Amino acid sequence: MAIDPSAAGRVYPPQPCDVSREKIREFADSVGDPNPAYRDVEAAKALGHSDIIAPPTFAMIPVLRGFDVLIDDLGVVYAQVIHANQRFVHQRPIRAGDRLTTTTTLDTLRSRGGNDLLGIRCEVAGGAGEAVCTATATLLVREVGAEGD
Amino acid sequence: MTEVGAALPERQFQVTRTDLVRYAGASGDFNPIHWSDRVAGAVGLPGVIAHGMLTMALAARLLTDWAGDPAAVVEYGVRFARPVVVPDDDEGVTVTASGTVTELRGDGLLGVDVTVRVGEEKVLTQARAFVRPPNHHG
Repeated sequence: MAIDPSAAGRVYPPQPCDVSREKIREFADSVGDPNPAYRDVEAAKALGHSDIIAPPTFAMIPVLRGFDVLIDDLGVVYAQVIHANQRFVHQRPIRAGDRLTTTTTLDTLRSRGGNDLLGIRCEVAGGAGEAVCTATATLLVREVGAEGD
Repeated sequence: MTEVGAALPERQFQVTRTDLVRYAGASGDFNPIHWSDRVAGAVGLPGVIAHGMLTMALAARLLTDWAGDPAAVVEYGVRFARPVVVPDDDEGVTVTASGTVTELRGDGLLGVDVTVRVGEEKVLTQARAFVRPPNHHG
């Protein structure tokens, strides 16, 4: 079940993601990172930030909201999906209190050895529409799962 | 410390099944290949594998701890070259990360090449970051 080739270029509606101090702390705990900038407002302020900040790869949380919409639209299930690469360019750190929106574009759709390669770009913006992070990724969709074997 | 050629000291990170469950919950990535041997096997994997994003996050510690301010890690990208299989035991798997400063870009950011291995096998390749120079004296 190949993916509809006409899906390339599709832009998906912005997905919201509100960032709390608690979510940042939980994420930092889950990757075993004790950095006080992720927990202690005073420590973050000492580094020049207005509130606690998120680790660099925390951006995957708002980005996943965008992936979810795209994956659902393409009729793919996550067990078929291999994350091939991921890159983040941060225009500013994600901070507690941010009300982010992620706009996702299926930049490219290629076929390789019966699998589909999705080139995806997510633009994460802050509450005032300002650029926060650009995330680009390649997802490989394995055909084996689609055939149910 | 910050000249081209400088090394970021090697770090080791232990990853167990418990860590995968915790990361799934915190990140919202509930792909069953990260917690179900049955599903992982059905899609042709040797077993439950770590979230690539967890491995990427662990390797980021090398950069954020070195930079001082985590926000100094402005760009960070990796290729997930090999799956990190996490056995269902108390030890799990050990991920080793190290880095080298390879360039000073025109915009003042330092390019860092990161090597991430399990045993002798590179699990992340093309792992590269651009970081504002550490300023431990300022």
